[in-house]
Amino acid sequence: MGVFARFNPWAALQRRIQAWFTARLTPRDSTTLTQRNVYILPTRAGFMLGLTLLVLLVASINYQLNLGYVLTFLLAGSAVIGMHVCHGTLRGLTLHLTPPEPQFVGRSVQIAVQLHSSSPRVRYGIGLAVLGSAHWSWTDVPAQGSARVQIAFTPAQRGQYPLPSLTAETRFPLGTFRVWTVWRPAAQVLVYPAPEAYPPPLPQGEPRAGGAATAQRHSTGEFDGVRAYRRGDPLKLVVWKKAAKTDELVSRDAQQAQRLELWLDLAHAAQGLGAASSGGAAREHALSRLCAWVLLAESQGLRYGLRLTGTELAPDSGPAHQKNCLQALALA
Amino acid sequence: MLQRLTHLPREARDTLFLLAVIAWVILPQVANLPLWCSAMGSGVLLWRARMAWRGSPLPSRWWLLGLLALALAATWWSYRTLLGRDAGVTLVVVLLTLKTLEMRARRDAFVIFFLGFFTLLSNFFYSQSLLTAAAMLLALLGLLTGLVNSHMPVGRPPLLQAAKTAGWMALLGAPIMAVMFMLFPRVAPLWGLPGDAMSGRSGLSGSMQVGSMASLALDDTIAMRVRFDSLRPPQSDLYFRGPVLSTFDGREWRTLRSTLPQRYQLAADLQTSGDAVRYQITLAANNRPWLLTLDATPTKPEIVGYTPSMTPELQWQTDQPMADLARYSATSYTQFRHGPQKLAVGLQDYVDLPPGFNPRTLQLAAEMRRSPELAQAKAPQLVEAVMQRLRTGGYEYTLEPGVFGPNSADEFWFDRKAGFCEHIASSFVLLMRALDVPARIVTGYQGGDVNSVDGQWTVRQSDAHAWAEVWIAGQGWVRVDPTSAVAPGRTGTLMRLRPRPNVFTQAIDTVSPALSINLRALWEAANNNWNQWVLNYSQAKQMNLLRNLGFDSPGWEDLSYVLIALVVLASLVGAAWTLWGRWHQDPWLRLLHQAQAALRQRGWTVDAHQTPRQLSALLQTQIAAETTPNPDAARACAAWLLQLEAWRYAPAASSGAARALATLRQQGRRLRWPDPI
Repeated sequence: MGVFARFNPWAALQRRIQAWFTARLTPRDSTTLTQRNVYILPTRAGFMLGLTLLVLLVASINYQLNLGYVLTFLLAGSAVIGMHVCHGTLRGLTLHLTPPEPQFVGRSVQIAVQLHSSSPRVRYGIGLAVLGSAHWSWTDVPAQGSARVQIAFTPAQRGQYPLPSLTAETRFPLGTFRVWTVWRPAAQVLVYPAPEAYPPPLPQGEPRAGGAATAQRHSTGEFDGVRAYRRGDPLKLVVWKKAAKTDELVSRDAQQAQRLELWLDLAHAAQGLGAASSGGAAREHALSRLCAWVLLAESQGLRYGLRLTGTELAPDSGPAHQKNCLQALALA
Repeated sequence: MLQRLTHLPREARDTLFLLAVIAWVILPQVANLPLWCSAMGSGVLLWRARMAWRGSPLPSRWWLLGLLALALAATWWSYRTLLGRDAGVTLVVVLLTLKTLEMRARRDAFVIFFLGFFTLLSNFFYSQSLLTAAAMLLALLGLLTGLVNSHMPVGRPPLLQAAKTAGWMALLGAPIMAVMFMLFPRVAPLWGLPGDAMSGRSGLSGSMQVGSMASLALDDTIAMRVRFDSLRPPQSDLYFRGPVLSTFDGREWRTLRSTLPQRYQLAADLQTSGDAVRYQITLAANNRPWLLTLDATPTKPEIVGYTPSMTPELQWQTDQPMADLARYSATSYTQFRHGPQKLAVGLQDYVDLPPGFNPRTLQLAAEMRRSPELAQAKAPQLVEAVMQRLRTGGYEYTLEPGVFGPNSADEFWFDRKAGFCEHIASSFVLLMRALDVPARIVTGYQGGDVNSVDGQWTVRQSDAHAWAEVWIAGQGWVRVDPTSAVAPGRTGTLMRLRPRPNVFTQAIDTVSPALSINLRALWEAANNNWNQWVLNYSQAKQMNLLRNLGFDSPGWEDLSYVLIALVVLASLVGAAWTLWGRWHQDPWLRLLHQAQAALRQRGWTVDAHQTPRQLSALLQTQIAAETTPNPDAARACAAWLLQLEAWRYAPAASSGAARALATLRQQGRRLRWPDPI
């Protein structure tokens, strides 16, 4: 039954037409709407208005009301002008897209769209949304000015993820026509793996190449001394009491970090999963655990290295390093 | 309170505005609606306004259903039907007000707007005057404003903004309206309508349905103008003869359909005496194949383009309908006799009664015959007896007698005792026939008034009248006007009712009588134009328009050709306008875009929304970094960009602004844009 319930030939056909249609569009990050890419169709309310006009006309004919004709035709004339106004609300509008910041799988990505109008009239009631979604962001675009709209979407996969097709729509002024456009952005968003929700603790450190692996790895909190602040030291390593006295930044020095190195290894992460999953799913799970570890290690101010199949990032810490690691995870 | 009004949340403000517009739409109807409907409508609107003001939730659906059922029952109780014009209008008003209690989704709002348009139209059933039109134009703009406002989803835009948009749309839509109004074919009603449909107009048609009109609104448009070349007869003699109705089928009076062979049918036998009355008539187009003449006209009226002929019943008919204003001169005699002097077989047609109708009238006739004083009475005594009954029996002349049943004469004589001239004439003739006196109905116009400006006699549609002719041995057909017995003022020295002066006109009258007269003349002239160009715009005028456009024998096809040609022309103009709009860009913006394009070509990443100042800053950083091989060229570009920005913010009215921009454009062409680092 479930299969039959889900099988809807009409929806499937619509999806195929939609896909074929969007595939035809050239992706670009900036688009100017013209006669060629702005579409117009009457809405259900438009058909209702048509029916109303018909009834008004029949009433005018049957009761021989000349003033009824005036009313009917004035309303019809206004609706025709309304159609032009509706089309003109989108026509001539320029849309620019600012490529969004990288994000994790499952978190919403904010796409910022700048709407720019060079017309001397205000454009009212323009809505933007991801094609196929029902979450509209509405805005007015001032005369010879611009407006900014944020649209959110949630990527489903890690990696370089192409932005979904966007659609802009308006029904201003009478709601009898829907004027819309479909726009396929060229920009892509880098999507990191989703961090595992409850990751196991960080793996044991590995002895540094050539060094002795005798020392016990302390979790956190014990420090061997202080040294001058170096760029990139996490804020929690700064000895604030001293900084307040001397006006100089001083960092705690954790010596064990020099003896043991934290390596976040894909193979190691995958071993920990056991037999629960296998193949591609296991790999994804391992990546998402590594992602969680990267975030954890960074938040604890540790130096950590990342080892994936074919790539290796030397131990380091700091936002830039985190970013590199996450990027490597996204593209692995 | 005022502060609260200006700081209402958007939802409440929009609702209150819409309620005000709905109230404005319904207001002119109140006089025509049953009392319960007006009370319920205003109650519901006030209730809804209170809810909007306090932000309280809408009532449950049960409330609505209950009120709706109540309204349906009340409509049935008021009209005995749910169909037809008046019941329909009542129901639409009820639905419109009740729907305001159910404004939940966008669809509900649309339903309200569309019901509002219907209600707007229904106002025109009762009045199409200039004032009504102005009020309804305001209402239409109000509805459009509400509709536009509901499609501005962002923030709390001022209503004035929506009103402006609506006003512009209506203004730009007006030419479309004018063209459609002039060229849309005026066709006959598409299907038969319930009885009350065409009611309210006085005027002449070729037949007469008795009792089907619930009310008669006096149509003040001019039927004809008469210029008397000889002395004008007294008003009581001014009977303008139209169709004579002699055959009755129980419901409708028609012109004679004789059951007798041709040779038995009556001839006119017209003999005139007394002074001739010579006059010229300008007859408004009525699309009927007859001329109106003063009773009686023995000779053919002189008219160009038509061939009139007289029927045996003295009516002058033409070979084709009077589609246009026509002018003709005629000679008439107000003293005349016509018809056979002695009893003839042909008179049988005039005592014919449809079987099975008006039993009580037949019984009344039998009783009159049985009464001792009328047992041996001849026709004149019988006529006098019936006229006496009309005078003293409590009968009334009214323009709103309501709808009559199939036994219209019974209802008139015994139940309602009220009606307008058609009821009275029909009932009179039926009773005379029941008394075996040959009788028939004559329709036409009676009376009129003098136009004070040009002295011409003006006969209006509201002067349409129906009277009777009775055959009396030795005298032939004799005119009897039973309406004069019921309402002596209706005929004879009739003064048409004038609107009672109100406080305002009285005030003007006392201040300046001349101003008052001028104002009235102005108002009447405006009204006259309104009547001429809007209300009386008919098929005939449409064809005239086409004839002026150069069509020899215009028809429907020509109307559609003109309409299609105009549509094509309009779309061409629209396309040209769009093209022009695409090329015609703000010259300053074009210059900026050129500069941006030049920078992009050099390899800069430039966004379209970056201002000249931002672009200039971009160049300045590079100059400061001393990485550009040609710092002077870069500096010139930066300076030029700043000048471009300065021009935009210079006082707009400063003279030479255009020249300054032209200089900038020339300088812009010579610039050498630097490469990015």
